[in-house]
Amino acid sequence: MRVLVAEDFEVLAQAIAKGLRHEGMAVDVAPDGGEALERIGYTRYDVVVLDRDLPVVHGDEVCRRIVAGDSGSRVLMLTAASTVADRVDGLGLGADDYLPKPFDFAELVARVRALARRSAPATPPVLARGGLSADPSRRVAFRDGRRLDLSPKEFAVLECLLAAGDRVVSAEELLERVWDSEADPFTTAVKTTIRRLRLKLGDPPVIETVREGGYRIGAA
Amino acid sequence: MTVRLRFALLYSGALLISGLVVLSLAFASTEQVQHVGGGPVRTTHPSVYTNASALEVVIALAVLMLLSVGSGWLLAARLLRPVRAITAAAEAISASNLSRRLPVHGRADEFSRLGETLNSLFARLEASFTAQRHFVASASHELRTPLTAERTILQVALADPSASTATLREACEQVLVLGERTERLIDGLLTLATGERGIDRREPLDLAALATRVTESRHGTIRLDLALEAAPGCGDPRLAESLIANLVDNALRYNVPGGWVCVRTGVKEGRSVLSVSNSGPVVPAGELGRLFEPFQRLGAERVRERDGGHGLGLAIVRAVADAHGATLAAHPRSGGGLDVEVRFPAPLPMQMSRHNAGLQVVRRKSSVPPKDEGG
Repeated sequence: MRVLVAEDFEVLAQAIAKGLRHEGMAVDVAPDGGEALERIGYTRYDVVVLDRDLPVVHGDEVCRRIVAGDSGSRVLMLTAASTVADRVDGLGLGADDYLPKPFDFAELVARVRALARRSAPATPPVLARGGLSADPSRRVAFRDGRRLDLSPKEFAVLECLLAAGDRVVSAEELLERVWDSEADPFTTAVKTTIRRLRLKLGDPPVIETVREGGYRIGAA
Repeated sequence: MTVRLRFALLYSGALLISGLVVLSLAFASTEQVQHVGGGPVRTTHPSVYTNASALEVVIALAVLMLLSVGSGWLLAARLLRPVRAITAAAEAISASNLSRRLPVHGRADEFSRLGETLNSLFARLEASFTAQRHFVASASHELRTPLTAERTILQVALADPSASTATLREACEQVLVLGERTERLIDGLLTLATGERGIDRREPLDLAALATRVTESRHGTIRLDLALEAAPGCGDPRLAESLIANLVDNALRYNVPGGWVCVRTGVKEGRSVLSVSNSGPVVPAGELGRLFEPFQRLGAERVRERDGGHGLGLAIVRAVADAHGATLAAHPRSGGGLDVEVRFPAPLPMQMSRHNAGLQVVRRKSSVPPKDEGG
């Protein structure tokens, strides 16, 4: 799951990014509205966590442009003003959800996950296919009832493959969805993670390699 | 008793008195005629006044009085109609819809002047309410954001399954830094509020000594030039020092690499003067007044952690200058940066009592609108 955090208070932006990365998400940070729009231009984010009061380009304008575009990104708006009128304004601009500051981080994570599920195509809260299941909100995965001990990256790759269903997921797509711009941007990272994931999933192998560098979980 | 009734009674009272005066004059003149004239005229003249009985005069006066009360009542209604209109409109204008104004007619009479006076009062009230709302919203935003960051840092650190002493220590340190920032902001808000309330301490002070103390603790890559000559004044030394500190910090913060700041104090035209000039980014003339409002910075920029400012510095400078009856003048430098000059009032020839000094402040403050000088 790829998330953009657009927040001008750098300490807060980094803290949110760190927390979301612990939750297995790939997170990029934009310190102002201009950079947020630039990043949205070349990366498809599942969720944009958007501070309303951004410098350079105001959060409202960023929200309007995300909604007008066809990225399918969901917008979670953050704001320091917590009046009802303010909340209504934010939702009226097309934000999918709204969280007043200060918030509980657990609530932010839950809302980001809920929004990601709604990002097209909609996915169920617990993903399952070929004897495998993964619950992103609890970050637990099972194979035939056996609990798997996965690292955040391995879990995120599994989540991505399960959500794709029948569809083949390319290494590039995995790189975009699971790794953020801070990570080593090479497909070797994907290959290494897939290899470790296959090892942990055990036999018989369920992750099929389709063509060069594409992956899919075979239906049981 | 309403003004209308009072007017009617006064009106009829005045008519009654003038009636009585006219009648008594008439009586007096007939008596004179009787005394002086004498002879044949005597039989023909005393017609109206002497023959009319006292009863008839009383009846005539009573009728006059009734008529005058009635017409006074009607006249008062007509005269007071604009007052009723102004009252109704002013009642409809409350804190929630201060943008409404009284209808003022073109006639240049007392009522249209009253309406205009009230309208300018409403305009000032509206501006002050708007500024207050903006200030509270900004203060709440500036306080909420670091609080959110503190909470997030702690919750993320606690929820981290692989937390170590090092990561927890880092989180604690970050929260402490944020706490210090919040403390500085609260200090700034308090200083601003104190400055806006006015000063209740007036002691002799020397701007040069205060500027020396402020600049001693400022070190950095920006060159700091000092030309400090004795500049005696009087006021609250703590507030005056915070004025100097905020001006100097602002000049250091909004500067360019390899830039300079120059602080001068001295006496010009009998007044103690502090001036702070600095190199820095170009300040458009239109932006200048805004810089002295709370939580406003040049452009849309609010780069908080990098500059360490809380957006109150120049607002504090203005409030403290106003409280001291000092005039504040700021001019953008052509190559970028600002020249700011604060002229304190001339030191009083002899120390006045605290009470009198307080009055002095109020008088100066009302006669010198600070905004015009800032822009």
